[in-house]
Amino acid sequence: MTLDHWLLIALLAVGAYGLRLAGLIGGQAILQNAKLKTLLDDLPGCLIVALVATSLADASPLTWIAAAFALLVAILTNNVVITMALGFAAIFGMQYFGVGI
Amino acid sequence: MKQGFYSILPFAIGAAAYGFAFGILAAQTGYPWWGVALMSFSVHAGSSQIVAVERFAVDGLVVGAALAGVALNLRYLGIIASLSAILKETPLWQKLIAIHITGDENWALTMARHAKDPKIGAAFLIGSGITMITVWTTSTALGALLGQQMPDLASYGLGFAFTAAFIAMARAMWRGPRNLMPWAATFLFTILLVKLGVESAYAILLGSLAGVAVAALLRRQENTGELP
Repeated sequence: MTLDHWLLIALLAVGAYGLRLAGLIGGQAILQNAKLKTLLDDLPGCLIVALVATSLADASPLTWIAAAFALLVAILTNNVVITMALGFAAIFGMQYFGVGI
Repeated sequence: MKQGFYSILPFAIGAAAYGFAFGILAAQTGYPWWGVALMSFSVHAGSSQIVAVERFAVDGLVVGAALAGVALNLRYLGIIASLSAILKETPLWQKLIAIHITGDENWALTMARHAKDPKIGAAFLIGSGITMITVWTTSTALGALLGQQMPDLASYGLGFAFTAAFIAMARAMWRGPRNLMPWAATFLFTILLVKLGVESAYAILLGSLAGVAVAALLRRQENTGELP
């Protein structure tokens, strides 16, 4: 493991625990702050959508097709592991069978 | 505590499958199995870990990866805050442990059981939390052990497994049509920024903020509309 690998663990651990601690200390004040509550409600979803967008922005049409398939699987199953497995299988299968777009 | 320990088991099986898959991906980005175990035990936040590891694999920027992971975990401010009544009588040292071992699954189960039976509280939360963190740490480490022995999956489209995971996470976060406009704005604006040559780390941040701004505008409009 490189120093960067260690550093990522440390920063994530401190950040994750820091948020939990802030929740414990801030308690009800956080839940009653309308602006903060809006941010807490909306940011995580938007962040995930932005991550999907950056993954697809420069991707091939084949990847977009696989993404549409993964979205369909996600809508039907609402299960992360099944979506990952079938999404990966879709892109692997298209490459294996030489679907070149 | 024993009751919590066992009641969460069906949920823990689902988390184990997810943890196993995450372990495989993390090993492919250079983490040894014990490094994955250390991360899972010390961070204990599945979606945060997967986002941070993906970012780290894509651009190698540690701070950007950590920020993305932590930002995704913002919901824990609200989750832990909502436990204040349940943890009120608990000694401080137990509170400090309880907040670390609280995850989405055991929080939701504790809240649901507490609503039906007010006697169910901190002990249940801690018991179910111990199960969750143990299963999460073990399953991610086992996935990483397998991942270390696999060939380089990147050439087979491994990166897409992350994208598929994000798509599934978005599906789980979908709260109905009110998400449509903010998410569409985020998606389109982020793609535009990347196409314009903006670094992906900044594009993610700016794209997300654009979505949050649209959501805030819509909420404001809704509230104004409700006034007589």
